[in-house]
Amino acid sequence: MSIYIQHYTLTSALGIGLDAMRAALHSGSSGLRAEPWPDCDVPCYLGRIDALDQLVEALPAERRSRNNALVRLELDQDDLRPAVAEAVARYGSDRVGLVMGTSTSSIDRTEAAYRELDADGAFEPRFRQPHTHNPHAPGDFAAAELQLRGPRLTVSAACASSAKVFATAQRWLSQGLVDAVVVGGADTLCLSVIYGFHSLQLVSPEPCRPFAPDRNGISLGEAAGFALLTRDRGHSSLALLGAGESCDAHHMSSAHPEGLGARLSMERALASAGLTMAQIDYVNLHGTGTRANDETEGKVCGELFGPSTVASATKGWTGHTLGAAGIVECVLCLEALRSGVLPGTRNTVAAEAPFELLLENTQREITTALSNSFGFGGNNCSVVFAAQ
Amino acid sequence: MKIDVLGAGVWARNLTGVSALQALLTGTPANPQIAFEAPRPEAIAARERRRAGLMINLAVTVAHEACERSELPVAQPGSVFTSAMGDTAITDYMCRKLAAPEKLLSPTKFHNSVHNAPSGYWTISAGNRAPSSFVGGFRESFGAGLLEAASQALAAQEPILLVASDIACETPFDSIEPVRESLGLAIVLAPAGWRAQGPVLTRATLTFAATERPDAQAPQHPWLAALAEANPSGAGLALLERLYTQEQAPADSTESVRTPQRAPLKIKAAPEAQLTVEFEAVP
Repeated sequence: MSIYIQHYTLTSALGIGLDAMRAALHSGSSGLRAEPWPDCDVPCYLGRIDALDQLVEALPAERRSRNNALVRLELDQDDLRPAVAEAVARYGSDRVGLVMGTSTSSIDRTEAAYRELDADGAFEPRFRQPHTHNPHAPGDFAAAELQLRGPRLTVSAACASSAKVFATAQRWLSQGLVDAVVVGGADTLCLSVIYGFHSLQLVSPEPCRPFAPDRNGISLGEAAGFALLTRDRGHSSLALLGAGESCDAHHMSSAHPEGLGARLSMERALASAGLTMAQIDYVNLHGTGTRANDETEGKVCGELFGPSTVASATKGWTGHTLGAAGIVECVLCLEALRSGVLPGTRNTVAAEAPFELLLENTQREITTALSNSFGFGGNNCSVVFAAQ
Repeated sequence: MKIDVLGAGVWARNLTGVSALQALLTGTPANPQIAFEAPRPEAIAARERRRAGLMINLAVTVAHEACERSELPVAQPGSVFTSAMGDTAITDYMCRKLAAPEKLLSPTKFHNSVHNAPSGYWTISAGNRAPSSFVGGFRESFGAGLLEAASQALAAQEPILLVASDIACETPFDSIEPVRESLGLAIVLAPAGWRAQGPVLTRATLTFAATERPDAQAPQHPWLAALAEANPSGAGLALLERLYTQEQAPADSTESVRTPQRAPLKIKAAPEAQLTVEFEAVP
């Protein structure tokens, strides 16, 4: 069953809202910068959203965190709230579900609380925010902000989180559990992720360059995005055709060397969409910029891609936004379907890939696109969209 | 959503497996003085076991028990993991290290800090490449996870393993959301009628409804009720109690009837939503 995308929006280091993102992509401005992160001495480039620093205190006390500030900022973009309100008016608030993806949730706030523990080792009163220090924080907050009363949950499957939200939404809509679903993702920069990936020696001191022969790691970023999905077609010309999920069953932080999970994820997504790989025009790769990840994904894609399939890896534009990477790259696929401009692989000058990797933004009309998101825990998800 | 429940697993204080649950439900008293026994899942390879903490061990232990009791190969079912608070021991480690000047993190602890770490260890221990997810719903995590697991089972027309776990928290988490007991539980559910042969505990219809005042039923057994009070994942104990309670046979009958109590069960699925579970006998 086709599911239709009625609305979408994105905020990342490329800009707040879609217009800012389109302008940055058009002018070739990457969101990655070398500015230092507070209290952090890891040499790195970050895809940072500067506006967030000022927005945390404006939230209700119980919700204050950088991640929730990003959720609210992004809910305010591109007329998302009116679009959701219209769906609520049409279907009823209990018939609109919400599925959020995150990896960090509001750990930024928990880190801050630990820097100021009281004499007994407890949280200071202003940090006593049960609804914020838990994995469901962004979904809980977004549902409250949008006044939704349908089923809601927050998917946290590392870097596959906000790709998997499309799989859940598709099931809920196909089964008639709801009539519309708001899917989204939000992850913010924090010490946990910068020092965490640094401990694995995966943070590049330079802007990341996915699939470059001399690539040397990731650049982290922060982002949030939302999409409104329905069974009714309405005036939409963009469809969610299918999604595939899999696990490597191999290692917590290293991909299966033969890319078995990645292959299963793409094959299941294609089966769900009723397409073959030869029918996929464009693939937005997971493409993190680490030596091992790109090699594995490249190998599997080289074996699977059809003769006319082209691909790009876009983390050189936005940084790796972890739990938000799925929604970022799904929105980039939707943008490519809508505009006929495929984003290039920013920062990569020469590609080491057994398929056609687009280095520059490329004008090309496409009708199908697939996005890959692979995460820790060997968790993989691929999502297929089409212009109809 | 019409599903069959195939089997379950559980681990908590006085509740080290479904046999302990059955003993409790047939009158063996719970010893409130007994200490929590940390589970040691043999299924996790030695290399991984060294790296796994309580949250992971709890989830993996009950996942394996639920598959075993369902007579299902561990490599088969997709899975949904859920927790109100996630692994607060790992969160505590990360945040303490990051509040110190050196900020040196163990790479193993870092990769264990993703909320889907129990899912990762489970899939590795089971050689399972089916879809697996972690879903959070804070205090209503069990209900949210049950809804998602049932939806996945119906979509895939395959059994799905649901695992809920939370661990007892220490300072400073006790100042915001006290979890006083560690508890993991799991059920395997499948589309109604999926299985021609093998164990089926009950058939059930799940209905989601938004409501101002959702009704959540506590377990009837006092020890289970105490655990459910002390651990948000314990919301699933009311369901496990129904699954493994032998209905009292009428006085004039000579055999007990192997069906769970029939009264519908209500589980919170969001602050203002409930899931109603209506049971029926399996033909």
